Amino acid sequence: MVRMDQNDHAAIRAILAGDKEAYGALVARHASSLFRVAFRITGNEADAEEVVQETFLRAYRKLEGFESRSNFGTWIYRIAVRCALDRIGRNKVDESRRVAEASDPEQDQVQVADDAAGPERLLLSGELGALQEAAMSSLTATERTAFVLRHMEDRTTEEIAAALGIAPNAAKQAVFRAVHKMRMRLAPLRVRI
Amino acid sequence: MNHLNEEELIEHYYSKGAGVDAAGEHLEQCGQCARVFKALESDLGEFVAVEPPARDAAYGERVWQSISSALPVYETRKRSWLRINLWQGLSYAAACALLAAAAFFAGRQWEHKQSQTAVQNLPPPARQQTAPAPPRERVVVVVLSDHLERSERLLVELKHADADSEETVSPLRDEARSLLAANRICRQDAKKIDDPDLATALDRLDRVLANLANHQGNLDAADLTRLQNEMSADGLLFQVRVLRSRIPERKAAKAARSEGGEI
Repeated sequence: MVRMDQNDHAAIRAILAGDKEAYGALVARHASSLFRVAFRITGNEADAEEVVQETFLRAYRKLEGFESRSNFGTWIYRIAVRCALDRIGRNKVDESRRVAEASDPEQDQVQVADDAAGPERLLLSGELGALQEAAMSSLTATERTAFVLRHMEDRTTEEIAAALGIAPNAAKQAVFRAVHKMRMRLAPLRVRI
Repeated sequence: MNHLNEEELIEHYYSKGAGVDAAGEHLEQCGQCARVFKALESDLGEFVAVEPPARDAAYGERVWQSISSALPVYETRKRSWLRINLWQGLSYAAACALLAAAAFFAGRQWEHKQSQTAVQNLPPPARQQTAPAPPRERVVVVVLSDHLERSERLLVELKHADADSEETVSPLRDEARSLLAANRICRQDAKKIDDPDLATALDRLDRVLANLANHQGNLDAADLTRLQNEMSADGLLFQVRVLRSRIPERKAAKAARSEGGEI
């Protein structure tokens, strides 16, 4: 980890000295981890790839402001979270339309209560995952991101707050609201199962 | 017993492994909360992290290829240096200005203290003489020096003047008219600063200058002789020379009395 930090810092010094190609090494080193978090936040492969590209572009422009005592991985991770947040914010209209279609409680019940299908078939066909995704889509961009970072990325409240640029207490509340909303969304399914 | 609310249960769920907290102890004792927590665990347990599609080893290289053309080469180090130098330059300029101001102020204070010490070291009568003088006095000394020099020159020319020559007498008359006004100012100042020797000499000079300036027509030999005699009888030229020779002393005395000592 320390070695990677040193490599990152050496690359940054080279870039700032005019060696643009040195940024390629940083991109190669961090692209996969950024794709992972971007995919989890956006829930979409194409969006995640765009987020990764945008993150590296944004980071390059801000490279002068990068403090040498910081960890580049942590720094660019935060930028990626912000980019992903912006992306899902931009897609909010489309997503809310999808949520309206997929998360209509009545529709959920119809889907789950279909005698022909049955709960087992529902689980087996992966519709649970679809419902979870629909429930995720019902969250605000901040709630969704906070939940992903807490639940899937196993980040602490402080790290989430830093990534989202909000106070730790606000980050904690965002996680609470996300969990509460998703449990409410999935409650009918749980009853049926 | 207060039961745990959902927020506390969620916090406890995510802080598992961080040691036993108050919520954990409560859950061990409270069956109702334990059941609620179990349901929460079950719900959240279903939310397994979605595994992102795998990226191959060349993914980073592909990302780099897609963005590299949009990235400018960094030359901002120079700008950064310029910025730093600008700030440094401004800081140095401000520091220099401050230093110069401090040095000026300190100099003024030191000079003030020195002049006060010099005055204090003078004997009492001299100290009385060197009591704070108005700045105007300094100007008077300068004007007086110039006036006496011009007067001396005029008196010397008058002493050796040829009465028959209009070319000689006319400029003397013009100069006398010019000196007459200055002489009156100097006389007034001499009286104000209570310098009887100077006042007497300037009185005599005034008479000679007035006679010369106000004379109608050409000076004949008799007029000129009368003026020359008047001048000689009073020892006016000698007095003017003596007064001129004292000017440096007067300047020094004024400088000692005044705060800045400048003339």
